Amino acid sequence: MVTESEITEVLRTINDPEMPISIVDLGIIGSVSVAGAECPGAGTIVKIDVLPTFVGCAALPMIESMIRQKLAQLPDVTSVEVNFKYSPAWTVDRISPAGRESLRHFGVTVPHLRTALGNEAAIETLTCPFCGSENVELESSFGPTRCRMIYHCLRCKNPFEHLKRLNLPVC
Amino acid sequence: MPHDDSIPERDKKPLAELLLSIADDKLILGHRNADWTGLAPILEEDIAYSSLAQDEIAHASAFFDLAARLLKTTADRLAYGRAATDYRCAELVEFSDEFDWALALARSFYCDHFDRARLARLARSKYRPLAELSSRLAAEEQIHVDHVDSWIHRLGHGGAEAHERMQNALDRLGDLAQTLFETNDSIRECERLGYYPGDEQSIYDTWLEGLRTVAQKAGLSVNVPVPDSNRQGGRRGHHGAGFAALIDELTEVYRIEPEAAW
Repeated sequence: MVTESEITEVLRTINDPEMPISIVDLGIIGSVSVAGAECPGAGTIVKIDVLPTFVGCAALPMIESMIRQKLAQLPDVTSVEVNFKYSPAWTVDRISPAGRESLRHFGVTVPHLRTALGNEAAIETLTCPFCGSENVELESSFGPTRCRMIYHCLRCKNPFEHLKRLNLPVC
Repeated sequence: MPHDDSIPERDKKPLAELLLSIADDKLILGHRNADWTGLAPILEEDIAYSSLAQDEIAHASAFFDLAARLLKTTADRLAYGRAATDYRCAELVEFSDEFDWALALARSFYCDHFDRARLARLARSKYRPLAELSSRLAAEEQIHVDHVDSWIHRLGHGGAEAHERMQNALDRLGDLAQTLFETNDSIRECERLGYYPGDEQSIYDTWLEGLRTVAQKAGLSVNVPVPDSNRQGGRRGHHGAGFAALIDELTEVYRIEPEAAW
C-alpha cells in the first residue's frame, strides 16, 4: 500500500496555480491519510485535507483537480477524497523556509514568522524582494489575488507583492 | 455550549433560513460592490472594490454551501434559482449607490462593521461547521473594516466638500442601516437554540459604538434609529422597489441553462 510520505512527495510536485510554490511548501496541506478499501484487494483510499488561504479562493477547484489527477496515477489508489477545512486555519506561518525563498524570487514577500509569544506587537519591517531596501511603501491593500497586497520599493522603483497576515483568533 | 456537527431534523429549516439571510446579504452586497469594477475614482479602489466583491461572493458561497447541505440542494440553486421574494437580505445591501462614491462607502461602513459583529456571534455557534467558518471569516472581514474606516477618515478630513458629501451619505443611509438588524422567526429560533448566540440588540450597541468611534475621529457623526423589532422588510422577503430587477440581472446567465456545469 502507498504510504503517507509517498503521497506527500507527489503533492510536492503540484504548484499553486498562481505562484511558483508547491502546495506543500505553501502549507495548505492540512493532513494526508491512507486507508485500505473495505473489501480486501479493492485498492487504497486517500484522504487529503486542504486548508484554503482565503475562504472560497478561486484557485481551489483547480488545486483539487490537480491533486486528484496526480494521486490517481499512483498504483493501487482507487479513490481520492479532497476536503477543504477551515480548522486549523491556514496562516502565513505555515509557509516553509524553502517556500518563502521561492516566493521572494517571484517578487512576493511573506510576513515574518510569529514564533515567540508576544511577538504579535512587533512592527513588521518589510524589505524589497529585489534590492533588499527597507524603504518601501504600501501602494494598495488589495492586489491581484485576495491574499496579496501591493507595495512599491522607493529605492529600486519596483512594485512587489506581500502576502496578507490575517489576525486569526487564538482558539 | 458544546459544539455539535449533527442537527436534529426539526432545526434544519430555521438554521438554513438563518444561513440564507447571511449568504443573501453577502451575495447582494458583493453584486453591488462589483458595480465599481472599472469605474472607481482611483485605480487602487478599482482593485479594492473588485476584491471586496470577490470576498463577499466567496463568503456567500461558503454559507450557501452550508445551507445546501441542510436543504439537500446545491449552492448555485440557492444563490440563483430562487424567486426575488425568497431572498432574505437586508434592504441596505440592495441599495443602489448610483455611482456616488460617498454612498458606496457609507453602505460599506454600515455593512462591514455589522458583518464583523455578526461573524463574532456566529463563531460561538453550537453548530461546529458554522462556528469554524465564521471564526475564519471574521479575520477576512477585518480587512474590509480597515479599508472602509481609512476612507471615512480620509474623506472626513478631506476638505469641505468631501466632508459634507460623506456626512450627507452617512445621514441618508442611517435609516436603511437599521434594516441590517431586522429579524424573523427562524433567526429568533436560532438565537434560542444556540445556533446564533446572543441577539440583535446585543450587537447593535457594540456596532453603533464602533461606528461612532471611527466617525468621531474623522469629524463625522452617525445617526441610526434604534431598530424596530417588528419591522417587516427584507428578512421577511419584502424588498425595495428595484430588487426584482436586481435579481433578474444577477440570475440572467444562470436562467439560460440552470443545470449547466461551470
